[in-house]
Amino acid sequence: MKLLTRGAFALPGTSLDFKTGTWRNQMPVHKHWGAPCHYVCPAGEDAQAYIGKLQEGHPQAAWEVLVAVNPMPATTGRVCPHPCEQACNRGKMDEPIAIHLIERYLGDEAIKNNWAYPVEGKAKGEPIAVVGAGPAGISAAYHLRRRGYRVTMFDALPEAGGLLRSAIPITRLPREVLDAELARILALGIEFKPRQALGRDLRLDDLLADYQFVFLGVGAGKSRHWSVDGAVPSEMHEGLGLLKEWIAVGKVPIPKSVVIHGGGNTAVDLARVMKRAGTAEVHVITASGLPGPDADPKDVLNVVPREFEQAVEEGVVFHPYRTIQRLLMRGSKMVGIEMVRLKKIKAASGRTQRVAFEGTETVLHVDMVVPAIGEVIDPTGFESLVGGADYFKADPWGRIETHDRVLVGGDARGDRGTVTAAIGDGRIAAGVIDSALAKAEMPAVKRRDFIPYETLNPNYFEPAARAKEPTLPIGRRTDTEEIEGGLTTAQIGQEAARCFSCGNCMACDNCWTLCPDNAVVKTRDRATDGSHYVFDYEFCKGCGLCAKECPCGYIGMTDDA
Amino acid sequence: MAKSSSQLKDEILKRRSQPKEPAAPVTDESDLARLRKSQPRFRGLEAGHRACQGCGEALAARLVTEAAGPDVILTNATGCLEVFTTPWPQSAWRLPWIHSLFENSAAIASGVEAALKAQGRATKVIAMGGDGGTFDIGFQALSGMLERQHNVLYVCYDNEAYMNTGIQRSGSTPHAAMTTTSPPGKERMGKRHLKKDLLSIIAAHHIPYAASASVAYPADIRRKVRRAVSITGPTFLLIHSPCPLGWGFDSERTIELARLAVQTGLFPLVELERGEITGVMPIRKPRPVADYLKIQNRFRHLFVEDPRALKEREHLQALADHNIDQYGLAGEGADPLDADGADTVRRGGLVD
Repeated sequence: MKLLTRGAFALPGTSLDFKTGTWRNQMPVHKHWGAPCHYVCPAGEDAQAYIGKLQEGHPQAAWEVLVAVNPMPATTGRVCPHPCEQACNRGKMDEPIAIHLIERYLGDEAIKNNWAYPVEGKAKGEPIAVVGAGPAGISAAYHLRRRGYRVTMFDALPEAGGLLRSAIPITRLPREVLDAELARILALGIEFKPRQALGRDLRLDDLLADYQFVFLGVGAGKSRHWSVDGAVPSEMHEGLGLLKEWIAVGKVPIPKSVVIHGGGNTAVDLARVMKRAGTAEVHVITASGLPGPDADPKDVLNVVPREFEQAVEEGVVFHPYRTIQRLLMRGSKMVGIEMVRLKKIKAASGRTQRVAFEGTETVLHVDMVVPAIGEVIDPTGFESLVGGADYFKADPWGRIETHDRVLVGGDARGDRGTVTAAIGDGRIAAGVIDSALAKAEMPAVKRRDFIPYETLNPNYFEPAARAKEPTLPIGRRTDTEEIEGGLTTAQIGQEAARCFSCGNCMACDNCWTLCPDNAVVKTRDRATDGSHYVFDYEFCKGCGLCAKECPCGYIGMTDDA
Repeated sequence: MAKSSSQLKDEILKRRSQPKEPAAPVTDESDLARLRKSQPRFRGLEAGHRACQGCGEALAARLVTEAAGPDVILTNATGCLEVFTTPWPQSAWRLPWIHSLFENSAAIASGVEAALKAQGRATKVIAMGGDGGTFDIGFQALSGMLERQHNVLYVCYDNEAYMNTGIQRSGSTPHAAMTTTSPPGKERMGKRHLKKDLLSIIAAHHIPYAASASVAYPADIRRKVRRAVSITGPTFLLIHSPCPLGWGFDSERTIELARLAVQTGLFPLVELERGEITGVMPIRKPRPVADYLKIQNRFRHLFVEDPRALKEREHLQALADHNIDQYGLAGEGADPLDADGADTVRRGGLVD
């Protein structure tokens, strides 16, 4: 070969001998964050995970992910106030993912196609008692059964469901849906003993003698005492009682005008029922604010925002940040109330106080006042556990200090207040019982940090409108038909495709495409961290481009050790 | 036996309801050399090159060769790209590549193309240069190559100054930018002159295809490269490639800056055929130029209390607005391929 004297040559790709990774002082790493929807869900649902399965085209697998946590998605998809949607990062760009509609769809599909719950094997061992067949009890029984335990569930009423059956209007939760979901759960091999009330038919001591553990999901069934400076109208009905009566026998008083005092589901449900029944004027007085874009989420009506909007549509009048200061009576006849503006304000002591503002009094002419300010437990049968308190005192796992074989969850705790929270309590308690019996470590209650919107790169997401559920027009709303409908399979597919996949690799190839140094390597099989990309630190110069351009915030930069 | 459509449907539904577990074997991450060889894309520019962290030009060259290769011969003008890819005795290229001088990339490419033609071979020739080697020093050779109708794609990586020699101003440096030879001071606020309108000069050669692209839109680059190499005859591509060192910004922001240059209208993405505009990437919502300028050191002097700074900011805004008018960049509503829609991950986007 002729000697080259006027030039030079090099063999292709020989630069690989030079490891540019030594230039680096920051290195990219994959970091799996929690998604906000997962972080805030009181039941512990990982919406991102089941939406991911839906995107892959596997609705049944999606449902299985969902029911690994919450056995009643068709129910919660309808009644939960879905804090997941308020937390959804997509809401900061356009509108949050309609997670409740996806949850509802999966729940309905499971019932329609009779998908089998992912529960295997036969239950064995000494049984565990669950008292109360409401959301907390059902969840505890289901999760214990999933872990292989035998479960006996007691309830005072003839049918399971708790307040889902007794206090939630059919217009929000059709009973066919509730019945189907409950029947499928009980059919997993949970022994259900109805008409067994604690204190009447059962004694706690007997239960503790017969069962390894007792889970109390007894709810809060007694209305909280209500009066205005000691005064109550001569003929008083309280909200939950009226609502239960209406659900059971279909009757509700029809005054000319009514004011309902309270800011929860009972108040709003009852207001709508009374309005539909023919009450001309229905007012709701609440100490909280109303849902809206500028509202502080911690201080608004504790209802599903859609329910509030529909109530307003139907003509219910809301008076936020108010309380009742005086009842106006003519003899024993009620002629109105005096309301006053108030706000929750932090006092010098650091505690929040409700302060009424002088000079803001107004009079409402109404024939009837209905308190719906919440419920407390009925302590019959477990006085030894609660004493005179309104609620059980329990730690985050549901354990009670004085009794190491009794756990409590749901509304009986006093610091819950949603069906979803009760379902979460049931699952956590099942984990605690399991770890105690298996002599294993306690389940963790703390979750991964969730990823803030600022860590995502929204340039890679395009605006897309949120799916809207079909809603019956006001004129066609009755007491027996569900007001909201579900989405079609095609709509669900589109809605699932809106998910940002916060903090979790969606395999978009951005890091692989944009690395100027060819230092991101794509894999055909999964890499050990579950993604499809591996950083080649021999060559990565640590520019940070991949981290900046990762749409989901899955790549972070750390100091190179 | 053929299955009926309802049987097929059942079969599909059954398979859908039973997802295949992801392949159990997990990638052997210890053998990266093997993984690197089995990448599902052509590698024209290999790792180990000496470009700075976050180099826009290295990324652009990688994307161009990936889309064009492997049946390609490259010629390269003097500049960063030449220097950082070929530190003797190594080369980061996996394609035949030749460098001669600063001014003659297009001339060398013309010769290579003539030789291939004489041999009856169809290998595509791509000439490459930076903005210095294209707008200024190699311009004569480029014009000649276009005029003689050589079957060559010329790619100019535009980082808007002579970065390799120490950030001197070039014909491509934008108005008011600071370089080492256009420092802001008492006399003026950065470069006095305007960025040369190279595309219009190229257009005057009436070549079959010329386009501008940006590293912020890799899919757009790929499409334009494939279009250009599929044409027999001279074609030209101008790729905006931010330079972290020369412009003065954090290396992680290369793509962000490139995207902002497009979204402000300062770097319009257009396609020309025979000198006529045949396509533009519309801008859904034009961003103010200050968003782009204020994160670069080379425009830092425009953000001080000085009436001259305000004047130059407004001047740059007017230039961007002029581009938007001139090329018709203002989109009519949302478009899946506009500056907000191109190269998204299609999560709830405008097209499925």
